[in-house]
Amino acid sequence: MTLYLPIAEMSVSVLVYLALGAAVGFLSGLFGVGGGFLLTPLLMFLGIPPVVAVATGNAHVVASSVSGAVTHHRRNNVDVKMAVVMLAGGLVGTIVGVEMVRILRKAGLFEITMSLTYVTFLGVIGTLIMIEAVNAWRQVQQAGGAAPTRRSGRHGFADRLPFKMRFPRSKLYISVIPPFVIGMFIAFLSAIMGIGGGFVLVPAMIYLLRMPTAVVAGTSLLQIVFVAALATILHAVQNKTVDVVLALLLIVGGVIGAQFGTIASERLRAEQLRILLAALILMVAVRMAYDLVITPGDVYSLGSALGGA
Amino acid sequence: MRLWLGVLFLLALLTAQATHAEPSQLAKEDIEADASTRQVAITSSFTGTEILVFGAVENSQQLSPEAGTYDVVVVVEGALAPAVVRRKSRVGGLWINTEAMRFAPLPSYYAVASTRPVDEFADNAILDANQIGFEHIRMVPLEEAGARLTDPAKIADFKEALIRLKERERVYVKSEFGVSFIGRSLFRATISLPPNVPVGPLVARVYLFKEGKLLGQYKSRVMLEREGIERYLHDLAIGRPLTYGVVSVVLAAAAGLAAAFALRREA
Repeated sequence: MTLYLPIAEMSVSVLVYLALGAAVGFLSGLFGVGGGFLLTPLLMFLGIPPVVAVATGNAHVVASSVSGAVTHHRRNNVDVKMAVVMLAGGLVGTIVGVEMVRILRKAGLFEITMSLTYVTFLGVIGTLIMIEAVNAWRQVQQAGGAAPTRRSGRHGFADRLPFKMRFPRSKLYISVIPPFVIGMFIAFLSAIMGIGGGFVLVPAMIYLLRMPTAVVAGTSLLQIVFVAALATILHAVQNKTVDVVLALLLIVGGVIGAQFGTIASERLRAEQLRILLAALILMVAVRMAYDLVITPGDVYSLGSALGGA
Repeated sequence: MRLWLGVLFLLALLTAQATHAEPSQLAKEDIEADASTRQVAITSSFTGTEILVFGAVENSQQLSPEAGTYDVVVVVEGALAPAVVRRKSRVGGLWINTEAMRFAPLPSYYAVASTRPVDEFADNAILDANQIGFEHIRMVPLEEAGARLTDPAKIADFKEALIRLKERERVYVKSEFGVSFIGRSLFRATISLPPNVPVGPLVARVYLFKEGKLLGQYKSRVMLEREGIERYLHDLAIGRPLTYGVVSVVLAAAAGLAAAFALRREA
């Protein structure tokens, strides 16, 4: 069964994209991540134009994060004040990011920029998660090994910045600049990579802002939902590259996959899961780096006419 | 339906001609043609289609379909659209788009079918004038600010690449023996429209050649339009992008919430 995608302007197999959605959903259920960093590159490998993959990826992020955000909010696991400060930054980052996509597309440099951003971020984050997870795993192996050292109460550069604000839910009294900048930066990445950015946002909130782990997931999800929603709308307006039919196909597949992913995750240990996640992230990074380095089959390419660019 | 009417009409024409073949011996030949479909709908189940272009040579002096007295060319063109061709080169180990050439609007889709390769029976002047064949499509590079297009070799390279890439995307199609005579005057050609055919009006041009001379031509139009939900979504996305964006977000959020709700009920 095939379906004609109204924005990508191509006829695709429904089953392939449902399966792709399910596979990404499975992994996101397994690892507790949004999976955008896998979805966008996979869409491109399947021949969806990169700009459509990124814009549609943002719509997919909305769907995959909204229920988590609502659940966490109900359980009072969200620092709304912090989320609002990060969102203010997110607003700026999204507007700049979407505009950047438009300019880069016009110059024919969008693909290379996106690929390089992917390779850099996935490479760095994948390596960090891998190192951390392998160490944790080793400590577990050496039964009775030293408990992981917690960095606590150390005062960093963030304390010397102005505009301090109280965040009662996180029990923090910090400058608004770091959360604003973090929100802005992740939103920028989100707009040009088609990801939610949870895998960058969560460690940033834990290690840079020193937020309590309990509220990190909910707060990051809330921020991601709004940033992704804004990015989707801006991509639709500026670049006209959001394919709603493709997004819904992926979401439906994702719902099914996520269910199995959650079940599978209960059978694996946290460190093992993180090692697998890191391996996956690194694989995507290597694959994208490979495409940048090998000699292309044809050095010529046609500029995309999609969205009237 | 339309096709059969057309065929019947042509058969009538044929028999009418056969009855007074002698007087028409010296009458000038001309051509008439039409497409089997005037309207192609792009719906959510669109996977490409074929259109049949058929016609007849008036006052045909051809003794049999195989005689090869006439050569017929069918060109089907899509709407004109600007094109950009980019060239990658290696920069610090990475392949990056470094050069680009913009072309003035040219056919977004171009299919050419003929009784035999066009350069065997027509000279370049005629082919250029009528834009018959990929190499004869008018492709005018646009001057870029600060970059003068003086290097003809470079222009030729980019033009060649443009044709090659369009061919690979199957939006430029050539069928050198795609037109066949099925009677002394009746001919037909099948033109395939791929799933990624650019949406817009198509123009079918049909040319009649004899011994290298252009005897007649005929033009016909085929509408290629989105219909149903495809049309609605596309019009919304282009015409009211803000509404489309908001609707996309609402749909995505609703789908996400509905899924979570459904799964919680099951658990």
